[in-house]
Amino acid sequence: MTDSEARPRLREPRQRVSPRARLMWATSAGLEAVVLVAVLAVVGPITDWLPIPGWLVALVGVLAAAYVVVMPLWRYRVHRWEVTDTAVYTQTGWWVRERRIAPMSRIQTVDHAEGAIARLFGLATVTVTTASAAGALEIVGLDRGRALELVDQLAVQADTVPGDAT
Amino acid sequence: MTDPETAPETPEAGGIPVAAEDVAWRRLDPRMLLIYPVRELVRFLPALLAIFIAGTAAGRTDWWHGLGIAIPVALGLLRYFTTYYRITAARVELRRGLVNRHLLSTPLDRVRTVDVTASLTHRLLGLTTVRIGTGTASTDDEDHLDLDGLPVEHARRLRAELLRLGDAGSEAAPTDRVVVRFDPAWVRFAPLTTTGLVLAGGALGVAAQTLNAVGGFDDLDAEGIVNGATGWSIWLAVPIGLVLLAILVSALAITGYVVTNWGFTLTHTGPRRHGAWHLRRGLLTTRETTVDDERVSGVSIADPLALRAARGARVSAIVTGLDRGRSASSLLAPPCPRPVVDRVAAEVLGTVAPVQTPLTGHGPRARGRRYTRASGPVLVALAVVVGAVAAGVLDTWWLVTLLALPAALLLAHDRAAALGHALVDRHLVARSGSLDRRREALAVRGVIGWNLRASWFQRRAGLTTLVATTAGGRQAVTVLDVPVDTAVALAHDAMPELLGQFLVSPETSAPSPAAPGL
Repeated sequence: MTDSEARPRLREPRQRVSPRARLMWATSAGLEAVVLVAVLAVVGPITDWLPIPGWLVALVGVLAAAYVVVMPLWRYRVHRWEVTDTAVYTQTGWWVRERRIAPMSRIQTVDHAEGAIARLFGLATVTVTTASAAGALEIVGLDRGRALELVDQLAVQADTVPGDAT
Repeated sequence: MTDPETAPETPEAGGIPVAAEDVAWRRLDPRMLLIYPVRELVRFLPALLAIFIAGTAAGRTDWWHGLGIAIPVALGLLRYFTTYYRITAARVELRRGLVNRHLLSTPLDRVRTVDVTASLTHRLLGLTTVRIGTGTASTDDEDHLDLDGLPVEHARRLRAELLRLGDAGSEAAPTDRVVVRFDPAWVRFAPLTTTGLVLAGGALGVAAQTLNAVGGFDDLDAEGIVNGATGWSIWLAVPIGLVLLAILVSALAITGYVVTNWGFTLTHTGPRRHGAWHLRRGLLTTRETTVDDERVSGVSIADPLALRAARGARVSAIVTGLDRGRSASSLLAPPCPRPVVDRVAAEVLGTVAPVQTPLTGHGPRARGRRYTRASGPVLVALAVVVGAVAAGVLDTWWLVTLLALPAALLLAHDRAAALGHALVDRHLVARSGSLDRRREALAVRGVIGWNLRASWFQRRAGLTTLVATTAGGRQAVTVLDVPVDTAVALAHDAMPELLGQFLVSPETSAPSPAAPGL
């Protein structure tokens, strides 16, 4: 545990999410940005209800636009997943990156969810939960067909491992 | 056990297996007829008081005022007559409610903990409440399997049968091994916990509300107090006030400590590995918890700054399958001397190494992050204050806030010293924190997944936060800011088959295009 040379490295999961996920993230971030800027503009310069200067609203708009462009691209480079015979491995996030590994024997439920925006792009989210509240693995932005396949596969695989998963 | 319910044809819990439909529904102990109405009356007390005050103010006492007492009493009686339970060969079932029927049913093999609680009134009547824990995530009280009102003896036997402790109850008692017993000298640790502050806050809140309710704030002669106090120097008044406050908070803390922890006893029943831990505590309300050995997957030793200064600590068990939000019932030792805590922790883990092994530090970059994180926000805030003072917006005495910087640095120093981890005797050990320092030891068999989380700053420093998730305690054991290589090696050593398939040796691995600044 203390020898420092030639230590193995944890590689990234092999599979990437659907390229359309970038559009999905951009769309939801864009909607949030538009709402935020609109609210600021209305309560600020337009109605003079709060003392928010116009340049501040413009600044927030520019930052939000940068977020809408950068975040989905960055996120797409990070988000990856992999399912082996004995484990599920995911990598998510962008600024904060998180890798999660769960043994197949500890999987409790496999959820398939399609949000409104995700459905627009034919995407779905697969969530794998374990008995720990800190241990859910989420694969966002999978192609819907691929997601359904994965849910079936996981359900079969998790079933074949004995134990009560705690 | 002379209740009419225990008629011969009613099988005792855990007796000869009987098909579910053959087991008769049973009522709780009839002595609950005394407790339920009183409890309902207490619940209706504010409304009753309002009615009473309104009635007296109007100078009349109408017959319907009696309803105010009759309704709660009737509700209480109804509660008794509509609550049934039964224990079949396979399930525990609880049925209650007249209008809103509620049936709770759980398979016997899902029963993980059994808590036996007795409030003061219960104790006077020789009754207890049995809570059957199934590890539900629900926080709704209605969803808990509470058998409120069983005779003490019956409750003990039920617990033994539910947890399959074999010949339990009176027979097993002599084989119980007492691990720790309450020592009144431990009360000295009470003022060093936050319990006193919480209690004082609560008491102040209640007092203020009461005062407000009776219109006290209007009568409060604020000017009189200020004028009366003008004779006092602020240098005298403030320290005296603080000392009085400290005494009040300490007194409350000691009271709280004694009420919850009096008679604290931790015993182990049965054989070394396949028995159960049995906890008992409480001065007025007694609480008994039994946890199966198999369910204990680790311990968490907490030694917050104040407690540590007095060489004290407390320890709780990481119990898988305990209902969420009930961590209090897994306390293995209340605030007490550190050697006692270490001994209890070692006994519960079955090995002394995770408690005593010196931990491997996390290196200079992890320590450095403690300093930047503690002092960064303080520096920004202080820059604003200094700027405001220089611009004449704030008075000069605001510069006192500069003392926050050394305080933050001391805190960072303590936090840096805390960082450490180890993997010994198949236990993952991690320590971190200062004001809330914790040393957690989790058996590898209790780990149900690994998370490696790193922000952009952490990645630049080559650090990551390794989280071992588990189904008990705080749901995870966190190894804060450990060098990436060490984190991977640690998880790999703990679970070689799991991690091995995702590892690459450094020579063969091409730099991944999607992992900038790993």
